[in-house]
Amino acid sequence: MDGRRLDRSPWARFRGDRRAMVCLLVLCLELLTVFLLPPLLGLEPNVSDLEAGFWAPPSAEHWLGTDDVGRDLLARLLSGGQVSLFIGLASAAISAVVGVPLGLLAGYRRGAWEFWIMRLADIFQTFPSIVLVLCLVTVVGPSAGNIVLVLGLLGWTGIARLVYGNTLAVREREYVLAARALGARTGTILWRNVLPNVISPVWCSIPLRAGRAILSESSLSFLGFGIRTPQASWGSMIQYASNLTVLTGRPWVWLPPGLCIILTVLCLAGIGDGLRDALDPRFHGEQSKL
Amino acid sequence: MGRYLRRRLLTAIPVFFGITILVFCMLNLAQGSILDLMGEGSGATDADRAALAASLGLDRPLPQRYLSWLWDLLRGDLGTSYTNGKPVAGLIAQRVGPSLLLTGTGVVLAVAIALPLGVLAAWKPRSGWNRAASALSLISFGVPGFFLCLAGIFLFSVTLGWLPANGMYAAGRFSGIGDLLRHLILPAGVVCLSSVGELVKQTRAACLEALGEDYIRTARAKGLTDRTVMVRHAFRCSLIPVLTTILSHIPHILGGSVVVEQVFGWPGMGSLLFSGISGRDYAVVMGVTVVIALAVLLTNLLLDLAYGLADPRVRYGKG
Amino acid sequence: MRRLIAFLMAAVLVLGLAACGGEEQTAEQVTVRYGLSNAWDSLMPYNSPSGSNYTRIICDKLYDRLAYVHADGTLDPRGATSWESADDGMAVVFHLDEKAAFHDGTPVTAQHWADTIALITNPSCPALGRGTFSVVAGTDENGCAVEGETLGVEAVDDYTLKLTFKSPTTPEDFLLDKNRELYVLPSHLLADTDPAQIMELDLWDAPIGSGPCKFVEEIPGSQLMLAVNRDYQLGSPDFDQLVITVMDKSNLLPSLISGDLDYYAFGGNVSVEDAETAKASGLEVVEGEVPNTFYELMLNCETIPSAEVRRAIDLALDKEALCLQSTQGLGEPTATDITPGTEYTCTLTWARDVDQARTLLEQGGYDGRTYTLACTSNRSGLAALMQQELAEVGITVTIETVDSAALFSGMSDGKYDMAIASHTPGALPLWFTGSRLSESNNIFHIADLEPYTYYMDQIRAASGWEKRQVLLDKLQELLADQRPFIPLWFGRTLHVQSPTVDNIDYPSSSFSNENIWAWRMKTD
Repeated sequence: MDGRRLDRSPWARFRGDRRAMVCLLVLCLELLTVFLLPPLLGLEPNVSDLEAGFWAPPSAEHWLGTDDVGRDLLARLLSGGQVSLFIGLASAAISAVVGVPLGLLAGYRRGAWEFWIMRLADIFQTFPSIVLVLCLVTVVGPSAGNIVLVLGLLGWTGIARLVYGNTLAVREREYVLAARALGARTGTILWRNVLPNVISPVWCSIPLRAGRAILSESSLSFLGFGIRTPQASWGSMIQYASNLTVLTGRPWVWLPPGLCIILTVLCLAGIGDGLRDALDPRFHGEQSKL
Repeated sequence: MGRYLRRRLLTAIPVFFGITILVFCMLNLAQGSILDLMGEGSGATDADRAALAASLGLDRPLPQRYLSWLWDLLRGDLGTSYTNGKPVAGLIAQRVGPSLLLTGTGVVLAVAIALPLGVLAAWKPRSGWNRAASALSLISFGVPGFFLCLAGIFLFSVTLGWLPANGMYAAGRFSGIGDLLRHLILPAGVVCLSSVGELVKQTRAACLEALGEDYIRTARAKGLTDRTVMVRHAFRCSLIPVLTTILSHIPHILGGSVVVEQVFGWPGMGSLLFSGISGRDYAVVMGVTVVIALAVLLTNLLLDLAYGLADPRVRYGKG
Repeated sequence: MRRLIAFLMAAVLVLGLAACGGEEQTAEQVTVRYGLSNAWDSLMPYNSPSGSNYTRIICDKLYDRLAYVHADGTLDPRGATSWESADDGMAVVFHLDEKAAFHDGTPVTAQHWADTIALITNPSCPALGRGTFSVVAGTDENGCAVEGETLGVEAVDDYTLKLTFKSPTTPEDFLLDKNRELYVLPSHLLADTDPAQIMELDLWDAPIGSGPCKFVEEIPGSQLMLAVNRDYQLGSPDFDQLVITVMDKSNLLPSLISGDLDYYAFGGNVSVEDAETAKASGLEVVEGEVPNTFYELMLNCETIPSAEVRRAIDLALDKEALCLQSTQGLGEPTATDITPGTEYTCTLTWARDVDQARTLLEQGGYDGRTYTLACTSNRSGLAALMQQELAEVGITVTIETVDSAALFSGMSDGKYDMAIASHTPGALPLWFTGSRLSESNNIFHIADLEPYTYYMDQIRAASGWEKRQVLLDKLQELLADQRPFIPLWFGRTLHVQSPTVDNIDYPSSSFSNENIWAWRMKTD
């Protein structure tokens, strides 16, 4: 065990983790690029340049060429990044917002709460997630907002289980018992005493969930239940590769969104690992990274 | 043990009903019903639609439909397909074999790769093994399944011509194990690749955890070689968490196979489910989801019972 | 533990293999592998809820039809060897092929055809798609037989079938319009069954038809195995079985190139770009000669009530660019639904005029509301282009991507304001308008069909090209003024030739029939 690491704050430990910091930096850079670059360069993702033509190869005017409707692929890559990152991060956040309170309640109140919440989690976890998502998206109609909602709301079980497990352990600790004996209200105890001690695994799992949501959106797009046209997302842009001609002859069309997805998922995983190491110093920083 | 068994079974019952209610409600509240399908091409009229609705029992109130659906389900009758009028149970039975074969092979391959790689990566964190494990996880996590399918088809079927690009048999029917295996390699490879990342990660983490345990340190202190420690102790300890990961991932693996089966034209449950969803054949969708969910429920139940049998701590520990 | 896992894995593998492996095949058979991107639904042709072309092209193999329709609208004998008009054009007499027989050996007689039509039009039979028969005398507008009236179907003798219609109909008009929906069922096997129970029969699990292929086995929704019918009256191909596999459309061309498919429906269609890829891989690509797709923008005249606004939409669209995007140069923009190259013409022309569109919008009182445009997912690019063009004149549109069944039903329910659709064009003057501008299928939600039906009835009743053309011009003028739908373009198709099978009539597959009896394996 590395004693040097334990006496520092989690943030200091995270900062000391070079890999996690690089991942965080890349992700921030990515966010800045996709949100700031389009207005700066005046890029229009939804306007066709009929003079450039359909499927134009990369040129000075269109750095990544144009798509099947003559829209600038760079502009679409950037605006697609906005959508993909939004879907990933927002749906992970929704999962946490729903999962954490339910997990806390189940673990702290126990009894009927525990029984029903955990049984509900059991129910949701027996289904292949993509099946539920497909069915729900057909009900609510495909759009970025709905995909975020569906992915987010269906992702609560994993987080609730994490929180539930830790709450079970924490509720019997002295400081919680003391607060209860002093007559503090349940809400206060949960917020002040329990939550801070059970939240760290949630922080670690959020980036991973975000990465997975970005990939889920891609599968949905492939199956024809993705976001609404003319909006772009990395997941929907990579679908161009399902055409043999594009796959073999126009790598500039599908390679950039593909690489963006991989890079983002990699960074999110790196941040997740870094957070885990920083928040849970039991793990060896060096060894547990993958 | 008897009490544990009873308690475990009792918790499974509400889950069972929850699954059936969820499936039934979700699909019945879905916007477009099968009647929507009778579009322009079919030349259907309102009278046709009403007749079909009545014949499918869609004109009865929802709770009544649920109860009769549930009753049929308990008797093993999953209803008949809206689109082709065949019993859903029969349709599923036709697809279970190919699905098991595909996902089974994919998972076995994934385990065969993940276990040694995960152990090696934990054992020698600075070696090439660790990097190989990282690269494999990266592909597994970062590349969408359909892309793996198409890249595989392009590389191995179109360019190299080594493997067939679709279907299960060359002539539509079993004609020897070699033919089947050739058709199996590409889709099973994709299933393997998309689940191997998680497994490597879990194996590695489990091994690392085990390496930190007291008895391993004792073993090391006793002077056993690294190799013996790894193989005898760390590897064995990591088996249970890995097995748990595999089993808890079964729903996801099945879900992932929707895309794989769809692309390769593999006659499994995934492609049945997808054609059900896109054709709004809710009887089929309900049947497949409920069968998958119940299979997962049953597996979990058996697994828990096995754990309880093997490890008395489990019996008293869990709620 | 290890042993347990090993055992579990072995069990899974063995179970899977056991479930997949049937009995081994004995003789080496020549198989043609046929790809399809969507599944058929029912093997009973009158029980298909989708009524899609995928079901039609499958039933085309199992069941026989009266004629074979070529892409250019010419007809060849199939179930019938010849046909002629009778009763002053009110009836058609078909002389059936005496060699035709069902797969169980029973000869096909006129009685089978008559019984089939009588059964399907029987109101107590839960048949779907019987609207086909609404042209036959003695039926109502849904195609149900009316009690007390004589059904216009008669088996004159064993091999002479007579159909009587509600209005004068030439045999060519009837066949071009209805042939793909008229199959002969093995009515000798249905005679003892109550019509209400017909769909429950086990017969449809292993159907017996009189088509060029016999049913062998099926994995519904995924694979269909057929054996060639050696006794088919038009001959049989030189292979033994046909295996039809459903796979994602992205895998069709790769599979054909890699040699894992021999052909894919419909007609091995490829885009101009993919044709280059196919050629580069050594496949031959042939261009279809007659237009086989007609694109239109359907409008909902209830939610877009002003004819000025509808005309403005027409003027706002750059059909040239849209056509180029969709067909990559294999299409001609059009102002009418009349198929070019047929004997009927239309003098109307189109031109994009943004200013005129804006003026019309103002006149029509467009209130700036957002319209919903529905399209299928493979046409989302087209929809996005339309959206931009409409935005240019100030019309806002949101796009919904749906499957084609939902698109048509959404249009007829009035859920969408416009939708992009494509059809297989016909040679008849009313091939498009005839079925859509009618009470039973008023998909454009036209408030008053009277002006249209006035001309259409006259066109139907008129004899001779000249009279019809004059009336047709009037109808087209009315359509141009009211614009209930916007004709976009007629497109042609490229067909990837099968590397292994010769003699395939690729273009005619757009009429949901394939000359499979004439297919021959390439010898080299």
